[in-house]
Amino acid sequence: MTEQPSFDHRPDPELGAALRAALEPKDDHAAFAARVLAQYDHALDRSSVAMFDVLASWFRPGMVAAAAALVLGILLGRTVFQSPDTTSIDAAMAPVEGPGLAALVTAQDPPDASVVFTSLVEP
Amino acid sequence: MGGEGGGPADQALVAQTLAGDRAAFGSLVERYAGQARRVARAVLGDPDDADDAAQDGFLSALVKLGQYDARRPFGPWLMRIVANAATDRRRRRNVRRVEPLDTSLVGGGPRPDAAAVRNELGDRLRAALAELPERRRKAVVLFDVEGYSHAEIAGILGIPEGTVRSEVFHARRRLRTLLADFKEPIG
Repeated sequence: MTEQPSFDHRPDPELGAALRAALEPKDDHAAFAARVLAQYDHALDRSSVAMFDVLASWFRPGMVAAAAALVLGILLGRTVFQSPDTTSIDAAMAPVEGPGLAALVTAQDPPDASVVFTSLVEP
Repeated sequence: MGGEGGGPADQALVAQTLAGDRAAFGSLVERYAGQARRVARAVLGDPDDADDAAQDGFLSALVKLGQYDARRPFGPWLMRIVANAATDRRRRRNVRRVEPLDTSLVGGGPRPDAAAVRNELGDRLRAALAELPERRRKAVVLFDVEGYSHAEIAGILGIPEGTVRSEVFHARRRLRTLLADFKEPIG
């Protein structure tokens, strides 16, 4: 074999040719190609089947997860939208009629603490 | 490093294959059949096993063709798949251990007749290759037989480029030692 320095970056043509001859198949490559092509459709079908197998394996857990999410959403929705004692902002801001409030608004002097309290607790 | 022979570029054939052109895939197979079979044989030794592995590699490449990056050369991508298919097959056959090498094959022995030199050399080379670690075998065949660069082989084998250089160096040294008595021109 050709003597070449260590870590030579060039291929060794003599060794390469000898190895190539040693590894070369006896039959021609056309027959091999025909053999591979005979499996063409089968390989593609098999890959499609494998993809559907993967999807099918995820179907049941996916359905369970979707159902769980739906139930959780319904429960949360009912909790939020059915809370009691809801008051609109208009009702909260509406003036409360009554003597206490009138006395507070019309008095010349600063209001007494009892008047203020009365205006708050009177309906 | 391209395939063997002329014709349309690999990328064009890949695009046609992806579009469902069976003949284009056939052209790719014919173009790379030699490389794939030799690389697989370097891994497996047995030519029938090697052809099975090469076929597995081509069909696996067909299924994965959508993952191929057309900006990169096709050969190294394919050879990686073929080399892995050969390694997988080698493992699956339960590591059918390489027969202990006949010392008359690897280390001298009686000199064959001139007419049998080529066959004898082939036997010795295959026996010598079988002695090498699998990665070293792949590296030297991809470099010295198939003409891939160190960088491409690094991508194929998934190892650093420096390791490829080391593997090729050690493989060559071993092969040259084992075949030292064959000095005739190979032709």
